[in-house]
Amino acid sequence: MIADILTGALRSGTSVMLASQGELISERAGVINLGTEGCMLAGALGGFATTVWTGNPWLGALAGGLCGMLLSLIHACLVLDRGANQLASGLTLMFFGIGVTAFLGRSFVSEQIVGFNPAPIPVLSDIPVLGEVLFNHDPLTYLSMLLVPALWFVLFRTRIGIILRAAGEREEVLFACGVNPRLVRYAAVLAGGFLAGIGGAQLSVAYTHSWVENMTAGRGVVAVAMVIFAAWRPFRAMLGAYLFGAAQALQLTVQQQGLPISPYFLFMAPYVLTLAALLIVERRKRSSVPEGLSRVFAADADG
Amino acid sequence: MKTEADLLPLSPQAARAVGRLRPARKIGRQIFVFLAPFVLYGLFLLYNGVNPWELYVSMVRSAFGDWFGFGETLIKATPILLTGLAAALPARAGLINVGGEGQLAIGALLATMAAVWLLDAVPAAAGIPLMLFAGALGGALWAGVTALLKVAGRMNETIASLLLNYVAVFLVGYFVHGPLKDPHSFNWPFSPEIARQLRLPVFDGTRLHIGFLLAIAFAVLVWLVLAKTGTGFRIRVLGGNRIAAERAGIRVSLIYAGVLLAAGALAGIAGMIEIAGIEGRLRPTTGATYGYLGFLAAWMAWNHPLRLLLTSFLLGMIAVAGNELEIGSGLPSSSVHMLMALVLFFLMGGARGRKA
Repeated sequence: MIADILTGALRSGTSVMLASQGELISERAGVINLGTEGCMLAGALGGFATTVWTGNPWLGALAGGLCGMLLSLIHACLVLDRGANQLASGLTLMFFGIGVTAFLGRSFVSEQIVGFNPAPIPVLSDIPVLGEVLFNHDPLTYLSMLLVPALWFVLFRTRIGIILRAAGEREEVLFACGVNPRLVRYAAVLAGGFLAGIGGAQLSVAYTHSWVENMTAGRGVVAVAMVIFAAWRPFRAMLGAYLFGAAQALQLTVQQQGLPISPYFLFMAPYVLTLAALLIVERRKRSSVPEGLSRVFAADADG
Repeated sequence: MKTEADLLPLSPQAARAVGRLRPARKIGRQIFVFLAPFVLYGLFLLYNGVNPWELYVSMVRSAFGDWFGFGETLIKATPILLTGLAAALPARAGLINVGGEGQLAIGALLATMAAVWLLDAVPAAAGIPLMLFAGALGGALWAGVTALLKVAGRMNETIASLLLNYVAVFLVGYFVHGPLKDPHSFNWPFSPEIARQLRLPVFDGTRLHIGFLLAIAFAVLVWLVLAKTGTGFRIRVLGGNRIAAERAGIRVSLIYAGVLLAAGALAGIAGMIEIAGIEGRLRPTTGATYGYLGFLAAWMAWNHPLRLLLTSFLLGMIAVAGNELEIGSGLPSSSVHMLMALVLFFLMGGARGRKA
C-alpha cells in the first residue's frame, strides 16, 4: 500500500513538479506567474490535440510546451513591457487559459489516444519496492526527474544561473555587466511557461490519456505555492510536488480500500496539505525570497 | 533571442514620452485600448462562423433595449459587484484577496443551510435578514481562515485565498452530495429548494431581484467608510505605506484581519443573493467564476468602489452576451471569458507604468 501511494505520488505529482520547476525559474528571475494554471491547461490541450492529430506523444509534449510558452508570452509582455501588476496579469492569464481551452477543447473531450505508457527500465525496475516506485513510469516522468538536478546545476553552478538569479535579486548588477535584465526575465518567463505546458501535457498525454475541461483543477496554483514552500530550491520543489501527488494518490487508495471517508474530503486533502506545508515554512525567517520578487509582494495591491 | 528583442518596442524614456502625449492622441489610445479586444474577439467569432457585429449589437440592445434585458445584466452584475468589493476593500489596505470565489461559495452554503434547516417556516421579514446574516457569516468565516493564515501564519494571502477556493468548492460538493442533498432530487447533487417566502422580491416583468439595490448600497457604504472615516483613512495609509503605518501606531494585523473579514462577508452576501434571488437552491456550481470576475472588475476600477459599479456592469453585460452566444450559436458560454480576459489584457497593456 505504501508502495502504491509512493508510485502514485510520482505519477500524479509529475505535472505539478514540472510546472513548479518552471515557475521556479521565472521567480528566480523576479517574475511570479500565477498564470501557470493557464499555461498548464494550454499545454494539456495543445499536447493532447497534437497527439490526436499525429499519434506521436513526443510531438504532443513538445506542442504542449510551446502552447504554455505562447501563453506565458502574454504575461511577459504585459509585466515586463507594460509594467502591469504581476499578480493581476497572472490571474487574468489563468482566466484566459480556462476560457480558451474550454472553447477550443470541446471537440477533444471524447477523443482517445495511446499517449505515453509506463516503460519499466530493465533490471532497475526489478528491485523490490524501489523499482516499482521509481523505475516504472512514462518517459516524461524520467525526464522530469533528470530535469531537477540539471536545473539545480544550471542555477547554482553556471554563469547562466548567476545571471538569472541576479535578474531576480539586483538588476543593477546586470546592467553593470552589460546584460539586459529584461531579456533575462523574458527568457525565464518563457522557459517557465514551456515547462508548465509540458507539465500540462504530462497530465493529459501520459497520466489521464484524456482531455477534460479545466482538468488541471488548481495544479498550477499549487505549483506556485510549492515554489514558495520550497524556498526557491529545485529539489525541495520536487519534494513538495510529490507530496501533493501523494495526497492525490491517497485518495485512490482509500477509495479502493473502501474506507468510510467522503471522497470530497479526500479531494480537499492535497490543497489543505499544500496550505499546511506553506504555513510551516512561512513561519521561518523568510530570507530566501529573491529581492526583486519581494518587491512584487510588498508593493501595494493598488494595481 | 532576437525574436524577443523585437518584442520590446519602447525604452523607458519612450514610455515616459508616451505618458506626455497630447490629449488627442491620449484619447485615441484609450479608444484603441477599448476597441481592440472587441475587434480581436470579433475575428475569433468570425472564424467560428458567428457574425460578431450582430452579437455586439444584440449585446447592447439586450442590455439597454428593454427592461428584461437590462434586468438580466443587473442580475449578473450584482454578484460581480459584491465580490469586486471583496477584492477592492482589502486591496486598499495592500492585500490581494483572490478568495471571492470560495467566500461566495461558503456564503451560499451557510445561507442555504440556514434557509433549509432553520428558517423554513419563518416569515420573510425575519427570514431574509437572517439568511443574509448566515451568508455574510459564511463568507467571513472562510475569509477568516485566510486572515488567520495571513496574520498569525505570515502566509501570503494571495496564494492562501486562491488555494482555499478549491477547498471551498469541494466542501460545497460534500454538502450537496451528502447532508444537504434534496431527498426528492433523484440523486442529482443539489439542495432542497428554499421556502417561497425567503426568495427575494422581484421587479415586475423581469427576473431582477432587490439584491442589486443591496449591492449598490454596499458599494456606497464601502466608499463612505474608505473615504470619510478614520478607519478608512487608516486602511488607505496602510495600503499606501506599511512601514509608515506601523510607525504611526496603526495596528496593522487588526486592519488586515478586519478588511479580510469584511471582504468575506461581502462575498458571502453575494452567495446568499444568488440563492435567494436566482437559484433557489444550492448546486455544486452556484456562483462559479463570479469570484474571479469580481477580482477583475475591481482591478479594472482601480479598486474604487464607485467606479466598480461601472466595471461590474460592463462585465455583467459581457456575461449576458455569453448566454446569448450559447443559445443563439452553440458556442459555449465560457468563450466570453476570452473576451473579458482580452479586455483586461488591453487595459493592463494600455495603463502603462501605473503602479506596476
